[in-house]
Amino acid sequence: MDITSDSHSQHISRQFNQELEELKTHLMAMGGLVEKQVQDAVFALLEGDTRLAEQVRDNDRQVNDLQLQIDDECTRVLARRQPAASDLRLVLAVIRATSDLERIGDEASKIARNALLLSESSSTIRGLVEVRHISEHVRKMLRDALTAFARFDTDLAMQVVREDELVDDEYSSAMRSLMTFMMEDSRSITSVLSIMWVLRALERVGDHADNLAEYVVYLVKGLDIRHSDTDELEPQVPKKS
Amino acid sequence: MLASLHSANTSQAPVAHFSSEHSCLSIDHFSLAYAGKEALRELTLSVPRHRVTAFIGPSGCGKSTLLRAINRLHDLNESVTHSGQITLEGQDIHDPQMNVTELRRRVGMVFQTPNPFPMSIYENVAFGLRLQQRMPKRKRDDIIEWALTSAALWDEVKDRLHRSAWQLSGGQQQRLVIARTLAVQPDVLLLDEPASALDPISTLKIEELIRNLKSELTLILVTHNMQQAARVSDYTAFLHQGELVEYGPTDQVFTNPRLQRTENYITGRIT
Amino acid sequence: MMNSATHTASRRRRFSRVNDVWPWLCAASVALSLLMLGALLALLLVRGLGHFWPATLEEVTLDSGETFAGQAVREVALPQRAGDERLYFTGNQDIEGVRWRWVAIDDIAERAQPDDLIRLDRSPWGDFIGRLVAIEQHDQRWEGDAAWQRLNALLVLPASQRQDSQLLLTTVDGQTLRQPLASVASAQAPNAMSVWQKTLAWGDAVWRFLSEGPRAANTDGGVWPAIFGTVLMVILMSVMVTPFGVLAAIYLNEIAHQGRLTRLVRIGVRNLAGVPSIVYGVFGLGVFVYGIGGSLDEWFFSDTLPSPTFGTGGLLWASLTLALLTLPVVIVATEEGLARIPEAQREGAVALGATRLEMLTRIVLPMAAPAMLTGVILAVARAAGEVAPLMLVGVAKLAPQMPIDGEFPYLHLERKFMHLGYHLFDTAFHGEDVQAAIPLVYATALLLVLIVLVLNLTAIFLRHYLRRQRGNEC
Repeated sequence: MDITSDSHSQHISRQFNQELEELKTHLMAMGGLVEKQVQDAVFALLEGDTRLAEQVRDNDRQVNDLQLQIDDECTRVLARRQPAASDLRLVLAVIRATSDLERIGDEASKIARNALLLSESSSTIRGLVEVRHISEHVRKMLRDALTAFARFDTDLAMQVVREDELVDDEYSSAMRSLMTFMMEDSRSITSVLSIMWVLRALERVGDHADNLAEYVVYLVKGLDIRHSDTDELEPQVPKKS
Repeated sequence: MLASLHSANTSQAPVAHFSSEHSCLSIDHFSLAYAGKEALRELTLSVPRHRVTAFIGPSGCGKSTLLRAINRLHDLNESVTHSGQITLEGQDIHDPQMNVTELRRRVGMVFQTPNPFPMSIYENVAFGLRLQQRMPKRKRDDIIEWALTSAALWDEVKDRLHRSAWQLSGGQQQRLVIARTLAVQPDVLLLDEPASALDPISTLKIEELIRNLKSELTLILVTHNMQQAARVSDYTAFLHQGELVEYGPTDQVFTNPRLQRTENYITGRIT
Repeated sequence: MMNSATHTASRRRRFSRVNDVWPWLCAASVALSLLMLGALLALLLVRGLGHFWPATLEEVTLDSGETFAGQAVREVALPQRAGDERLYFTGNQDIEGVRWRWVAIDDIAERAQPDDLIRLDRSPWGDFIGRLVAIEQHDQRWEGDAAWQRLNALLVLPASQRQDSQLLLTTVDGQTLRQPLASVASAQAPNAMSVWQKTLAWGDAVWRFLSEGPRAANTDGGVWPAIFGTVLMVILMSVMVTPFGVLAAIYLNEIAHQGRLTRLVRIGVRNLAGVPSIVYGVFGLGVFVYGIGGSLDEWFFSDTLPSPTFGTGGLLWASLTLALLTLPVVIVATEEGLARIPEAQREGAVALGATRLEMLTRIVLPMAAPAMLTGVILAVARAAGEVAPLMLVGVAKLAPQMPIDGEFPYLHLERKFMHLGYHLFDTAFHGEDVQAAIPLVYATALLLVLIVLVLNLTAIFLRHYLRRQRGNEC
């Protein structure tokens, strides 16, 4: 039995409704902030905007604070409401999601740090195309995962899960070509390494977005699809007819 | 142990079934009416042996009625009519050959408000024993001590067995009632909201007791406290307006119920 | 013109005044009831017990020179004559012909209280008031103080040993009398007695009242047979009514289907409690005495007919009639006790495997025992006081034999018996000597009240004990 996004608004206790709504709202706010962090960090890297990169690193504090705040709210709901069934799954999903979002924030910080490092280098930087490509991919994944969370949309979530495989492939091929670069031109090693860290961070962002999508499925259907192969997943998570 | 668990299906309620070797009590299309007004409608479920099964549901859904049907307490009420079958270890409990008093010995009952008799603690526990064949005093004393120990009350009352039972606190009285029921060594224990009149500590003690008794008996617990059902039971049946809505392992019912009705009740949503 | 605020305020004030007055009204009615009860008891105690106190004897000399001796009883203002009159008890019925004398107070010249005036309690002529001249026993003669001491010594002996003694007595106006000692019950010189001696004499008189039978057609002597008869009848009645009443209540409350018929029966039972008791007497007379009693006589006692054995009023029919009278009370009280037992107790017993009968006998009845006793208490209180039906079914003004005696079958259910209530009624209204009856009526009434009180207190204590055993009120 699937739940819908507004089923959390029908409790007899209006205060409980409010608490759950606030959880969702705050999570979305954190998601939005983190999304912007990733976008800004990549932009700073591609455009060499050091000021923006500094800003991203400063804002990470805000992301961490949000995580603490949301976790605290979740603890309180668990203690006071003893939620059951879908309410319980929602709270658990939110707790897990804040963790992943916080990590995404950290990855954005790393990208920003590398952006600062690369801005000091004067030579042409290789691999920016791959960065742009993969970053757009994972940013879309993140946005979709958050949308799926907001709308309790398992189809969109499953799409995100499948996308992650494509991102992993893209990442592998990007890494291979950058390796070749490094071997060809030993002067470029430092900058290429930085780019490789950036790519790796972006790949991690994709994994975290994939986790978020899995939490959506858990939340809506009660199925825990973490660590499952995508092939096994299809029959268990039927598409909405 | 679970023989099958029907998947979510619009035409049939998701109901756990147990094979005959694992089920102690089975209810088959059982309906009951008070003076023509229907209280239970075509209930079908089987209760596993040596497990705690909880019946939950809103007020008036029929859970207490069902419980009282199992030990035929409705026989005391002339206006009750019923159809369908309830089988205890293979025997139909409404069979004319079935001795009702023996049935009630095998299926013990604990009520919502503790109802110890106006006698001493000893005599309360001995009441059921005295109904049976005479036994030597020492044997009776032993059984009473065993029953009070099983009910986690022995240490508190062993020095005052001959004082009146009405001097005990509410939680102690309820445990005394449980001891009194255990003394006749039933197979099944029916508990009708046993802790709803008690304070939280007594409630926890009763719940602990229920968990411990599982190894010897089959327990059926009716409760309107969902957290209690979640804490204590292995299987949970959700009844609504006299019908069985959902019945399955407690973990599943409380984390991922199959039907929206169950979900709504468990999470406290307006139905 | 009041606006809403003041209107509410004034309503509140009025309400609070009613609130103040109401508890006082209740207290006043309680006080009034207690006052009436107290007055009744006080009247009975003073008039009843006072009768036995050795009264002062006066020697009265009238203006005309006539003298007589007696006990002043009371004064009355008579409208026809100017001034008040005083009633004296003079005794000496064998000499004077009357025992009482009214004297106009104005006619009294002198009232003296000489120490040597004595009062003898004797039968068959009642009290003697006068002086002791001498005692003669065989050839011996004692006079003066010695005579008085000898008299007291001899009175201690039983009547059989006093056959040969005689008293020489004289009244205050000089008439003499020989009185055999055997027929004298007691002798007092009340004017010479100290308070302590009077108290002893009072105690002795009360005891004789309680332990002796009546004399002189119920105008003198004691009421022991009436006490015995009343208590015996009440006990028999209780024995008969309790099982029937309790069983009927159990049936109505526990076993019968609670439909229209049961409700009708219950209404009928409650209405029976309101039927006038004389109607029960008539019923008892017709059905028990003539109907069943007559048949019993025909079957078992035909050799003594036409003199009826059971075909006339007797102890059995009287007890049975009163049992019928008090049956509704016992049924109602027991039913209320049964109804107060929570259903949870019954269910608890049944859920342990008790049969209906076991549940009733082991749980319900013991819990209802205090209520059953309440019913019996009420029955006893009612029965001990009912007189009207008994007049038709078994009491006698003067019973020749006691219902329990030494001859087989020891308890004679067919005999008539004496009853305190009836004795009171008879003494007060059918005696010839009205003045003599008055103090006896008070004494008997006091006794009746005390007996009912004792019976009730016994049952109340028993009920209290049962309740305490249970640990709590049910």
